[in-house]
Amino acid sequence: MQLVRGLGVGVVVIALFALTGCSSGSSDGGDGGASRGVVHVPADYDTIQDAVDVAEPGDLVLVAPGTYREAVTVETPNIVIRGEDRAKTILDGDFELENGVRVVGAGGVVVENMTAQNYTANGFFWTGADGYRGSYLTAIRNGDYGLYAFESVNGIFEHSYASGSPDAGFYIGGCFPCDAVIDDVTSEWNGIGYSGTNSGGDLYIVDSVFRENRVGMVPNSGTYEPCFPERETTIVGNRVYANNNGENDAIDVAQTALGNGILLAGAVANVVERNQVWDHEITGIGLVPLPEDDPQPVASDSLADCEEAAPADVTDVAEGDLPATVFWPASDNRVVGNEVSESGLADLGLEMIGTTPTPDGGNCFSDNVVTTTAPTDLQAKAPCGATASGDFTEGAFDVGVLIAREKPDVVPYEDVDLPDPGSQPNMPNAKTAKARPQRGAPHYPDLASIVLPDKTTS
Amino acid sequence: MNRVAAAAVLAVVALIVAACSSASSSSDSSEAAQPHADGARASHDVHGDSHGDSAGDSAGDSAGDSPVDQGRPVGNPNGAFRYDGAMFATRCAYSHSAPDDPIVAPGRPGESHLHDFFGNPAVDADSTARELVGVRETTCDIVDDTASYWSPALIGPAGPIPPAFADAYYRVAPGVPAATVRPYPVGLAMIGGDAHAEAPQPTSIAGWGCGHAPAVASDFPTCPPERLLTLRVTFPDCWDGEHLDSITHKDHVVYSTADGCPEGFPVAFSQLTLLVQYPVHGESAGLSIAAGPARAAHADFLNAWQPDALATNVRACLAGGVVCSVPTTSGS
Repeated sequence: MQLVRGLGVGVVVIALFALTGCSSGSSDGGDGGASRGVVHVPADYDTIQDAVDVAEPGDLVLVAPGTYREAVTVETPNIVIRGEDRAKTILDGDFELENGVRVVGAGGVVVENMTAQNYTANGFFWTGADGYRGSYLTAIRNGDYGLYAFESVNGIFEHSYASGSPDAGFYIGGCFPCDAVIDDVTSEWNGIGYSGTNSGGDLYIVDSVFRENRVGMVPNSGTYEPCFPERETTIVGNRVYANNNGENDAIDVAQTALGNGILLAGAVANVVERNQVWDHEITGIGLVPLPEDDPQPVASDSLADCEEAAPADVTDVAEGDLPATVFWPASDNRVVGNEVSESGLADLGLEMIGTTPTPDGGNCFSDNVVTTTAPTDLQAKAPCGATASGDFTEGAFDVGVLIAREKPDVVPYEDVDLPDPGSQPNMPNAKTAKARPQRGAPHYPDLASIVLPDKTTS
Repeated sequence: MNRVAAAAVLAVVALIVAACSSASSSSDSSEAAQPHADGARASHDVHGDSHGDSAGDSAGDSAGDSPVDQGRPVGNPNGAFRYDGAMFATRCAYSHSAPDDPIVAPGRPGESHLHDFFGNPAVDADSTARELVGVRETTCDIVDDTASYWSPALIGPAGPIPPAFADAYYRVAPGVPAATVRPYPVGLAMIGGDAHAEAPQPTSIAGWGCGHAPAVASDFPTCPPERLLTLRVTFPDCWDGEHLDSITHKDHVVYSTADGCPEGFPVAFSQLTLLVQYPVHGESAGLSIAAGPARAAHADFLNAWQPDALATNVRACLAGGVVCSVPTTSGS
């Protein structure tokens, strides 16, 4: 048992007896996620934090409908925190608390079927976790991210919704291989729908919707977090549309990148396939180099296991040779079989200035249904499975357009008039389903079975 | 990370530089020859000496036998953290400036040199930590960090140059067992660096740098526009376990060594490093700080964190070996 806070001794003793009674039973050993005890909030404990603090691995913390004004930190592995009703079990930060649920270093922790809103940082946050899952979650109007996994592996975000974050609605960063899946989520009215810095490696983003953010999806790289560069993320079967929204809050990058659907920024060896992408002021799918000011120096002998390829100009260089800015190229990405339309500048855009000796950077484009590309005839010039050729300066992607144009000012996230999230589905059998901590790698999607989604907003 | 950290600074310029990159990047541009105070203060012409090669630097950088030279600080803010693991950190916007010092000159408003304050906005010469905890306001991204940080004002030819922000990094120094680290008691007062230094201080404790580049010097460096001038101060991390402050404001705390905390200082804290960034680049002649020349670099810390939150972060993040947060640009 761990620390118990804020309860009378009598209640604590009773609760401990109750808990001991239900969690001392033998584990059922089934499917790797044996349900042990169930700790009810508020019936057993007034707060989620108190329940979490007494929960043992395998336990379920089951939270009744209500508004809980607390910031929960989880340090115990393999517990499951579940709301009885997704829309009515609400964690509310009142713009004074930092995170709805923060899981610190505890593997296997699952949070499901609840809402977190109005936190100054994140709705649901895992850091340093081996094994994590967020299912049937709703994150609204949080100051950094909606659902956020940092330096964590073996994870799942699924059946979830995020809106109103100035950074990303969904973020997985600082991991390689991440061994993670984002499946069936909706991200809208954020600065960025999905962002992943230095993540990849069996990281799949599928069957999801990224709409009406400032920018839809931005895998990206930087020396300030581990596991650079971003590489090997697979983006398949998503609907990405109308990411031109200037009525929300946004970090600087989201503001700069306004009006792009899928923007691979200094991102490497990703697969973007069978996505339906439409209605963007700049590009539907854009590949751009990413300059990083004030980069960190990189000592090759201090690299973590996940780091493989820092830019040469910051690796093992003497202090005096450390550049003020480094460029991360977008290279070796495959863009295949997408349908992209209604783009203001180009359905497909490739900008390689200053980052590669070859005009295509190893990126390739095939079988996409598009009307416009920059450079022109991009699919003919840089097809997958063949050598790039042709004039890449003809109709080149003029990123100056991105920079020069007027952009709407950001609106503080506390004040944004967000859309109603609508009726988001509840977890089936939330009151009775047993706890399933997330242990080991997730079940990966069957990519072959994913079809190009329709161009529909419903 | 952001937040984590995350995508903030980066693509910012993403496309920007791409757009402009036909001209090579700017460290050698003529602009760098001018000192700039980007913002409210005018830039000014300068001349003469650049920086960095002074005797002070070599003295400050030399390895020694004193505790402060034995492996302090953990690393350069940001740089080494990624690989060393555990930390929590927060960016605190500039709050205000005042000639107050609630540690050195408590109850005597106006009697200190000019300080820039970060964190709890209510702090003044009369503040006590308990009061600040009760105020529960902050300019820091971590809303529970209601402590106060302050540093001497940077002075340019046209007067004080307000800083942009301060990043506060909380880590465990090498040699200190993470499991033994305790949260600061409310009211703990600490000063890192020496406002009265007559010779260059060890740059492992206090000095000047550019952005997050590793070099720290006793004098002001010449910084390129992409790496703005930063003050970096690392605070002591071992406590006598008894006194929240002392007459010298230093005797109650010391720096750990590679062997941990020395005798007489049984309580290990996290190691706080403060990085204050100014909207200044270019030649540094004409700059000073309110406390005197560059070598008088120092900063103060009065702990008024929300106690439960600090305890949770120390236990979960530091003892747990996890990066809980990194300073990021805020969203709006």
